[in-house]
Amino acid sequence: MTSEPRILCGIETEYGIAIEGRGPEDQIQDVAGLVCNEPGLAFSGWDDRDEHPRRDLRGFSVDRLSVDPRDQAFETRPNRPSDRDLRQDRITERGARFYNDHGHPEYATPECWTAHAVAWEDLLGEKRVALAARAFSEKTGQATETYKNNTDFHGASYGTHESYLVPRTLAAQDLVQGLLPLLVTRPMLCGAGKVGSENGDPCPFQLSQRADFFMEPVNVETLYRRPLFNTRDEPHAPADRFIRLHVIAGDANRIFSATRRKVFLVQLAIRLLLQGQCPVFKLKDPVQAAKVVSRDLSCDARLPLEGASWTTAPQVLESYLAAAEATLTLTPAESLLLTECRGLLDAFSADPDHFAVHVDWAAKLRLTEWVREDEGYAPGSPELQSIDLAYAEISTETTLFSDLIAMEHVEAPPALTESALPQEPTRAWARALAVQRFREHLTQANWRGFTLAGRTIELLPDRDYAALAGAHNVEDFINLLEQINA
Amino acid sequence: MPDRITRPQEPTPERKHADEDGPSKPNLDRPAPANPLRERLKRIDPDQAKKYRQRSGQ
Repeated sequence: MTSEPRILCGIETEYGIAIEGRGPEDQIQDVAGLVCNEPGLAFSGWDDRDEHPRRDLRGFSVDRLSVDPRDQAFETRPNRPSDRDLRQDRITERGARFYNDHGHPEYATPECWTAHAVAWEDLLGEKRVALAARAFSEKTGQATETYKNNTDFHGASYGTHESYLVPRTLAAQDLVQGLLPLLVTRPMLCGAGKVGSENGDPCPFQLSQRADFFMEPVNVETLYRRPLFNTRDEPHAPADRFIRLHVIAGDANRIFSATRRKVFLVQLAIRLLLQGQCPVFKLKDPVQAAKVVSRDLSCDARLPLEGASWTTAPQVLESYLAAAEATLTLTPAESLLLTECRGLLDAFSADPDHFAVHVDWAAKLRLTEWVREDEGYAPGSPELQSIDLAYAEISTETTLFSDLIAMEHVEAPPALTESALPQEPTRAWARALAVQRFREHLTQANWRGFTLAGRTIELLPDRDYAALAGAHNVEDFINLLEQINA
Repeated sequence: MPDRITRPQEPTPERKHADEDGPSKPNLDRPAPANPLRERLKRIDPDQAKKYRQRSGQ
């Protein structure tokens, strides 16, 4: 076991949705119905008092967050239900959050310590959203498809965010400096790929779904004027001890190991920062560099650094891996993940077949190139974007992606087993058990705690809640919680 | 719903000189897929992306 602090993490994915006969103007109300009707076990009683999206890590709050003017128009419909009614917040029996976020079904995984566990929970979330879509379709009679992607190809984006709880001893500026080079270059190994472009220089294909949408290097926005590094200060944990690093620059991955890899790389960078060993790359223009990386299918574009020097995406990524290998105490599983990342950097040029099996953008590029050759479509055409969209579709029993797995064009995920609790006994374990066994005693809950049998209980992000598994009545459960928290 | 796309011109990525070593674009010369995948791809509605419109999320 490592003696370094464990980095609690989670992934929240906003899914795209297409409902027969409906459009984006109906999306918020439709998705409220989808979430409300979902068949899974859940507790409805989300406590949103701990949410502060306008607080900035840099020590101030903004008066309001920017909204895309086109979406703002949807908010003025008459007789619009309250935001709370529209969100339809649920806490699932795994301690996850499932709700309607701005018209997208969003699944936020239970918190985990390892990249493997959070990728697993993300995959389970995908299954839950698919079941919800099927249930909604059966109830309404309207064909309903859901997509694990981040763009509609027409200028609207929706996010897949990662959260990492880090000690507040790390200064915001150090986090920015340590993370930005990784966030800019990570799409080489973790990008979901996109046919076409929505802003900037037109291109037929790019590595990242999201790069087109970043307008500033650093700010607190998420809906519009999105930054590469988001400074929202909303820790969902004791604010004097923790920052929740809110990474909005990543893509929604279909390949399991790509999800795991994107989390692993950020966890490595945070640990390197905590050790004072993080590589230093001062990119001259991070936003432009992100667009360059995304459009560079050869992954050898020069990324200008401050001064007269430059680097490339593989050089940046290898620097993080080398620093981690040299200075961190890695578990055997982490060493394997590091080897996997380095192997993919090598395979990019030496074994592209291997690379394309494990990296979404390369798998998607190969697929769309085959279709383009077969059908004669123009590069970047809407017909190829339909292949891109089909790659992201999750809601039907058999999807293009499941067929790609069956035909071994992409890797198979680990088999899903019927484990009732999250893989790791983080604070999510306590939340999950409260929903599974004692939800009739729950009155409200959120990431940070819950009120159970009239007692308000905080869940601490650095505690191990495994001992709760033996509690089968509410008093024992509360007593054990208090012992663990003491 | 109209597109939100804007397309200002930006410089194309600057690349290393041709005589420098470095990774290259993925090799896409793998043989075309066997018939099952080809048939599967033909079942995809080529107009699906044209019709796909979403609200912006986070």
